[in-house]
Amino acid sequence: MPKQDSQSVDTEQIQALLKKNKRSMTLLLTACAGCTLCAESCFLFMNKGKAPEYMPSYKVLNSLGKLYRKHGKVSRAELEKMRDLLWKNCMLCERCYCALGIDLPKMIAFARRILRSQGIDGVYPHSLGAPEEESG
Amino acid sequence: MFELARGPLVWVAATVFLVGIALRIVELFLLTKKRERIQWPTHGITTDSRAERKLKPILAFRHSLIGKHPVMAIVSGIFHACLFAAPIFAMGHTLLLRQSWGISLWSLSSPVVDILNIIVLLGVLFMLVRRIAVPRVRAVSSVKDLLFLFIVAAPYLTGFLAYHQWFEYRAILILHMLAGELMLMAIPFTRLGHMVIFFFFRGLVGSEHSIVRGSRVWSA
Repeated sequence: MPKQDSQSVDTEQIQALLKKNKRSMTLLLTACAGCTLCAESCFLFMNKGKAPEYMPSYKVLNSLGKLYRKHGKVSRAELEKMRDLLWKNCMLCERCYCALGIDLPKMIAFARRILRSQGIDGVYPHSLGAPEEESG
Repeated sequence: MFELARGPLVWVAATVFLVGIALRIVELFLLTKKRERIQWPTHGITTDSRAERKLKPILAFRHSLIGKHPVMAIVSGIFHACLFAAPIFAMGHTLLLRQSWGISLWSLSSPVVDILNIIVLLGVLFMLVRRIAVPRVRAVSSVKDLLFLFIVAAPYLTGFLAYHQWFEYRAILILHMLAGELMLMAIPFTRLGHMVIFFFFRGLVGSEHSIVRGSRVWSA
């Protein structure tokens, strides 16, 4: 299966997926004012020393937002980075809220779907097998 | 240039603004559908004790935005209120409206509007400092955000200069009109769109945190 190849990225497939939800997702992405009031609603953010990488808006803007901005033309390394954001930094508990009412969990779920189409998957913590600085 | 900014450009800006907003609202309606109402059976049991009933509003307040971010919530609230009040009630604007269409609106006295204007500018400054100084806001910011802050600030800054008649009045006035028109046209298509989208997202689209229980959900 060429599309499951660990090196290549099927840009067309990503674009097709992006196109499916284009209008609602771009509307939601446009509406984000970057106010960061969503941060406290994430329990991972609160328990990881308030690191910005755990902020819901950061996770969305740097995964789904990036995919839209680059029209799906992303490298494998970028997708791997997104995996960390979407699975390691997020449990999809759907407790995050947005001051403007943006549906953050839906967007993270959609970004996960796109990554899965590229053979990138993870369960939390996706690094269960590998040693990690997790327990600190 | 003055006549151009005063005449046709106003119409262009107003049309783009109104049509853009209307399109946004239509788009939002098309992307959502009516929510299915679910009534969970309670079997007549209420779990709230007296203490819980007393505690609930306190907890709700503490978990609300104003409880969690009092400074940001209050500054943002005042900033947005002044953002609307200043241009709508400015004496010069109401006079222009009366000249053009014969509509008389209320107006605030000029010094009051001047204060509102200064509050808006201070609010922009607060947002700017926040964007640069707070690490987590910085993490989701780009140059674009500074640009939007500038677009918002420009009409108010030029309005302030025009009111005090600093620099060359006519040139500042032209800049003021152009800046206002630019801001109006930017609203429907950029993140400034939260002006309209906010009320629909928070009120209409169903979510746990809707202000009123949302009656619509995103269609798949």
